[in-house]
Amino acid sequence: MLFKCKNCGGNVVYEPNKGVMCCPHCEGRDSEERIDNSSMTQCVNCGAPIEVKDYTSACRCEHCGSYLILNERVEGVYEPHLILPFCVCKEAAIGSLEWEFSNRLFTPSDFMSAKSLEKMEGIYVPFWLYDYQADYDYAGEGIKVRRWTSGDTEYTETSYYEVLRKMEVDFDRIPVDASYAMDDSIMDLMEPYDYRSLKDFEPKYMSGFYGEIYNQSAPELEGRAQVKARTSSQEMMQATFGGYDRMRPFRNDLNLSRNGIHYALMPVWQYLYHYKGQTYQYHVNGQTGKVIGKTPVSKAKVFSYAASVLAAVTAAGYMLVWALEIL
Amino acid sequence: MREYFRYFKWIYVILAVLAAAVAALNLWHWGIAKAANYKRTNQECTLDERVFDYGDVLTDQQEEKLRKLIARREKQTGCDIVLVTLNESLKAYAREMEPGVPYDQFVRVYAEQFWEENRLGYDEPDGDGVILVDNWFREDDGSIYTWFCTTGKAKDAYSAVQINHILDNVYRHVESDPYRAYKTYVNDFYHDMMGINMFSVYVPRYIPWLIGMVSAVIFIFCNWRSKKGKKTTTAVTYVAGGKPEFRVRQDRFIRKTVTQRKIERSSSGGGGSSGGGGGGGGGHHGGGGHSR
Repeated sequence: MLFKCKNCGGNVVYEPNKGVMCCPHCEGRDSEERIDNSSMTQCVNCGAPIEVKDYTSACRCEHCGSYLILNERVEGVYEPHLILPFCVCKEAAIGSLEWEFSNRLFTPSDFMSAKSLEKMEGIYVPFWLYDYQADYDYAGEGIKVRRWTSGDTEYTETSYYEVLRKMEVDFDRIPVDASYAMDDSIMDLMEPYDYRSLKDFEPKYMSGFYGEIYNQSAPELEGRAQVKARTSSQEMMQATFGGYDRMRPFRNDLNLSRNGIHYALMPVWQYLYHYKGQTYQYHVNGQTGKVIGKTPVSKAKVFSYAASVLAAVTAAGYMLVWALEIL
Repeated sequence: MREYFRYFKWIYVILAVLAAAVAALNLWHWGIAKAANYKRTNQECTLDERVFDYGDVLTDQQEEKLRKLIARREKQTGCDIVLVTLNESLKAYAREMEPGVPYDQFVRVYAEQFWEENRLGYDEPDGDGVILVDNWFREDDGSIYTWFCTTGKAKDAYSAVQINHILDNVYRHVESDPYRAYKTYVNDFYHDMMGINMFSVYVPRYIPWLIGMVSAVIFIFCNWRSKKGKKTTTAVTYVAGGKPEFRVRQDRFIRKTVTQRKIERSSSGGGGSSGGGGGGGGGHHGGGGHSR
């Protein structure tokens, strides 16, 4: 599938800033015409062969530069229920990365060039979103301890309370990424997404970006969602025990029942940077601009900055001591 | 480099301001010292000598240099400054003067007697001044004792902490270079007396280094941000309505127990420290001692 401009024949792409389909050639708005094609090996625009990997759903033709969406990977069982269109454009994502790196003091000065940042790619990452109803039944003993001293005697008062809780939690769309290529811990840190911007899936939002179908099915990944739901439930329950010094549980039952599953595509800017023989991966949330990624540490910078702090504070200390001695 | 200077710009500005303030303070202090020229009014003390090297630990040249230094410092501080070195047991002498006096007080008894017998004092007999008695003789208990005795306005100016400080500085050099140690005594006394004495806090020399090192470690810790990123979800991020529903939320008091424990209090009165700056025996003398 390709979105072609009715005015000039160029490739129309989704513009995150404006939230509309734009032709970068004639700057026409909403001038797209959908061209379907069932081929998984040929570009619908120029006929050149295209390289499609196992889970690719959207790619770019290396010959004509058109963004292609593979029909059979966005239809039928692979048709996403929801999509969160990109809100952060490439320039803004680059700005977020640069701002983040400028705040990391020990990052080497020559790390990351503006030129290489142009290679940043926008990807729609497949996610399963799980709805759960959690029923938490807790019964236990809460213990409060108070100590005070009077004369030569220390008193310890221990108060015991019967603590009962029945909590219901309605979890709405707990996200779990379904892509092997994306590190789970990185995708977890990328959260949260603002679901208010979720839309019913339309292929046009994928024009201008790369994309994947789910690599694993919803039942296969449900364990991760359940862990998230259980952890959150326990944290919420724990928060109600604030006044107690200790808790002794007698009953601690948590039941999760699944209410729904949604297949969604979430926007992520991905950037790979090779520096001194190592590859560094950076991801920017395509909706919020949140940056995830490790940066190298320059030992020379750590040493020189720390030595400067040591020298400055020590010098200031001696000067103050000197001044105090005079005074 | 530009990045470095941009980051440390304010620290260097603050340091420069601090350096300028300390320089100005020094200049002011130097001006006061230069202007100070006390006239000795004690007519009864005819003793001109200030360096009594009975212990023979100084060369004649060193003694002469100390005499000149003391003469200058006396005019600036308005205090008699006396140095006595010994190399003899003071046990019999001190016990005769004060029966039962402990070992670490022998030098105190000697210092106070020396001061009083010679009618020392810059303003009047038994008046303003200090005496350092350093007895190189190892007494029966195996220690060598030193006493720094203050009288008159010197007594008012010195706290126990400052006495320890000046004795610490003397002891830093006394074994390796006695002349340097005694010169330190005279100069430190001058500095202490010329100050306003607004703060009588002694800050050990290693403290600024220690604070500097701790600051550097905290600085590294705070800026070591190579990590992937921060978790920005909470327990309620995916909870519809933003909070859970409680069908039951009950806390019912059951019982209470009170236990009591007798606090063992240790009896006070620890042993005296040989390095302490305890007060002198005479009512109008102050001072403190060290041993090595």
